[in-house]
Amino acid sequence: MSEQSTHAPAVGTSYIRTDLEGKVLGTAEYTADIALPNMLHARVLRSPHPHANILGIEIGSATKLDGVFDVLTPFNVPEGKVAPDVPILDSRVRFVGDEVAVVAAVDIDQAKAAIDLIDVCYEVLPFSTNVHDSLNSASFPIHSEGNLVNGGPLIESRGSIKEGFDQADYVVEDSFTTPDHHPASLEPRAALASWHGTRLTVWKPSRGIHADKNILASALGLSPNNIAVVGPAMGAGYGSKDETRTSVMAALLSIRTGRPVKLELDREEEFLAGRRRHSTYTEIKMGLKKDGTITAVHAKTIMDTGAYLSSGPGVVRRAGQGILYLYKCANVKYEGQLVYTNTPTAGSYRALGAPQGHFALESLSDKASEILNMDPLEFRFKNHVGPEGQPGERTTPRNQIIDTQPVEGGVPFSSNELRQCLKLGAEAIGWDRRDYIENAAGPIRRGIGMSMFIYRGGPGGQSNAEISLDQDGLFTLNVGFMDVGEGSSTVVIQMAADTLGIPPAMVRINAGHTDKTPESPMTAGSTLTFSAGHAAMQAAKDLKDAIINASLKLIGLGDSEGLYLTPNGVKSKCGESISFLDIVHNAGPIKTLASVTPGSKDYIVNSFGAHFAEIEVDTETGHIEIIKYIAVHDSGRIINPRLAEGQVRGGVSQMMGFTFLEDMEIDPHSGVALNASFLEHKSPTIMEYPQIEVIFADSIDPIGPFGAKSLGEPPCIAPAPTIANALYHATGVRINDLPLTPDSVLLAMKNLL
Amino acid sequence: MDSHLTSDRVDMDDNETTTKFIVNGREHSLKIDNRDTLLDILRDHLRLTGAKKGCDLGECGACTVLLDGKVVNSCQILAARIKDKDIRTVEGLSQNETLHPLQLAFIENDGGQCGYCTPGFIMAAYPLFESEEEPSTEEIKLSLAGNLCRCNAYGSIIDSVAYALEIKTNE
Ligand code: FES
Ligand code: FES
Repeated sequence: MSEQSTHAPAVGTSYIRTDLEGKVLGTAEYTADIALPNMLHARVLRSPHPHANILGIEIGSATKLDGVFDVLTPFNVPEGKVAPDVPILDSRVRFVGDEVAVVAAVDIDQAKAAIDLIDVCYEVLPFSTNVHDSLNSASFPIHSEGNLVNGGPLIESRGSIKEGFDQADYVVEDSFTTPDHHPASLEPRAALASWHGTRLTVWKPSRGIHADKNILASALGLSPNNIAVVGPAMGAGYGSKDETRTSVMAALLSIRTGRPVKLELDREEEFLAGRRRHSTYTEIKMGLKKDGTITAVHAKTIMDTGAYLSSGPGVVRRAGQGILYLYKCANVKYEGQLVYTNTPTAGSYRALGAPQGHFALESLSDKASEILNMDPLEFRFKNHVGPEGQPGERTTPRNQIIDTQPVEGGVPFSSNELRQCLKLGAEAIGWDRRDYIENAAGPIRRGIGMSMFIYRGGPGGQSNAEISLDQDGLFTLNVGFMDVGEGSSTVVIQMAADTLGIPPAMVRINAGHTDKTPESPMTAGSTLTFSAGHAAMQAAKDLKDAIINASLKLIGLGDSEGLYLTPNGVKSKCGESISFLDIVHNAGPIKTLASVTPGSKDYIVNSFGAHFAEIEVDTETGHIEIIKYIAVHDSGRIINPRLAEGQVRGGVSQMMGFTFLEDMEIDPHSGVALNASFLEHKSPTIMEYPQIEVIFADSIDPIGPFGAKSLGEPPCIAPAPTIANALYHATGVRINDLPLTPDSVLLAMKNLL
Repeated sequence: MDSHLTSDRVDMDDNETTTKFIVNGREHSLKIDNRDTLLDILRDHLRLTGAKKGCDLGECGACTVLLDGKVVNSCQILAARIKDKDIRTVEGLSQNETLHPLQLAFIENDGGQCGYCTPGFIMAAYPLFESEEEPSTEEIKLSLAGNLCRCNAYGSIIDSVAYALEIKTNE
């Protein structure tokens, strides 16, 4: 921030979300809200079988129906692929709900009517709805390479766990499971495609329009230059709205019929054909010295990726991050298996594998502290990874950027305020009274629990930003990323405005169209503020220089030293000034483009935090009530406190679903999802919303833009183990299988007696 | 396979009736298919897309509008039920560029993240705003319990509605 600035900086203030006005007026346009003249409506025929070969499809009567324009089947679509294991349509279906055929018709009723007239001849195959059956050597392969992805686990390790366990006085171990957790964003997937002779335009909810453009190009065999992807407002996705067949099918239908085609999934389809959080089975083991030192950690996770791979390999890696890095330990090993089943596909969902891995790790840590007769908080104070990182040797060559989820030791963090988070949280919840909580007579038991986390995030891929001073004397930030509801547009505007030294209201944003924006990475892995922020700052810095240079000539000054930007224009120390309008009128609009690859060759950039909860358990009903919830985060400098707080509160509440309620149930006999609706897949409502107090640690990351680190996903990691640990404290019951439904609490209490 | 995935109607009989109704103060007389829902009529015929289709099953509240002043899930109202009715949607709240206090409150308190649920929440809160009562936080929550926000912006939604009620009392 320039000292010469004549107005207050925007970074650090709760500048109002830039796109909220349209949302409250009802004018913000989401994909399904867009209609084009002559538009056709598409509907998908989905598989009733969990696993089958399609031997033939009879579409004659469907195509003859009035108003039906086209029917896609596996036998009439081009060979392209949506993903390595997902053709445009496949003659093999792998879960109940998998795409079989698609109809385009004048309206949705005709499309549905046509769907009913399609006759499919299936050869039903053996199927498996859980990882254990899939891994059984006698099981039928779901993909040609077998049911275990890559034929073996992903293995990451540091030191020697054998040596570590040999040194241990105690070994504590347990196993944990987490459910099929569905993001179920309120906006179901939709796509609108329009083909104009040579050029395709696709409107779709997207977390990466440039990435989606490339997928469409390769699936359809078109040049990326002939495709524009437009990302309208998005009814969120939490990571789950990566590419599926939806937009490819709409595009192909538009190309074949020459008319715009809209395909909207309904709620049940969004549950089935969307993406869910991988369910997991984890065995974890920790070696401990009598004084509480951790000598080894070893975990094995099996993740259910469902019918297709999606982003599974990334997710399985991230489930190991806490295990490998949260506690100071020289000997760690993580093995992650990714397994196909005949169930809806798992993929990216906010915080990826971290909530699953941390649930196992942080539950086990509480068990470890009990064996040691140590307070669980003290155990964390003793063992948490510090700013210096892990013991061991750096293996990344000195001139290379450090992985944000490393295994190697010997690399410090750019900033790590985990200790501060523990302290602040303990104070806020009143940890001191934990040992003295007195329960009144009656069924209610009170308890306090906590857990902590580490998360990568921060530096992402190469990011570009363009910024201009326009004819009207205002600024436009041109970026290719998508604000998926998390507020990234707003915080990036704040950063650009402060870099320029002007109020954020003078900066507009132009995003969401591949033709009009420079390439940007996806909004994924909590990297956007960091990566796009750096690009925007660089572009703004360059623009500021360019504007000052242009005004030098116009004011008639010889050197740029004393010039600075104000809301009204450029000023010199001696009082000369020129307005932005005069600058553009004389010098024309000025534009700069910056491209940055953020990251560090010396430090790991990670975010940290600790959550604390006080709960009441009704031992007669099994109901758990949250009395107080404290979320403390080290996300570096907070660019926009209100937006940041909203992210944390929303993330915690969203994970109350994972903790207490949500599990997509698949009938093992038929492969049918039993609760693919909001009514049956229970999500938290406003009635369940607990008071959540958010505290941000005092932290400024030396590498992050304006000192910021990642924030979007981290709030989702700690809620489940925090509540499970509080439940144990309240009742003496430890539940290793999420969700913690009243039934499971009651059953566990009964078993305790 | 559940019925939502297969067709629910094939007949192409002429099911259209001319129906009169008022939306946001404007009278409409439209030939509509009896099988259409109010949500479809708003979105497809009148191009008022503020009400969203989150489920089409009455489970999420994204399609909330007012029907003769009462909060309804418009996806559950069949065409026959809107004859001569007075309908209000989120688009009808602001008056000549001036935001309704509820809309203002949602902006100032960051009451929406992705915003897909926002029109529904605002309409669900509307009768509360109009009533003479001074609702408690618990009552605010109860009146919004039929609306889902998957971003779980519930805390800011409660703040927004409470703030709107506060502006009203202070006026
Ligand atoms: S769309 Fe009407 S309640 Fe969900
Ligand atoms: S703000 Fe996204 S669903 Fe409510």
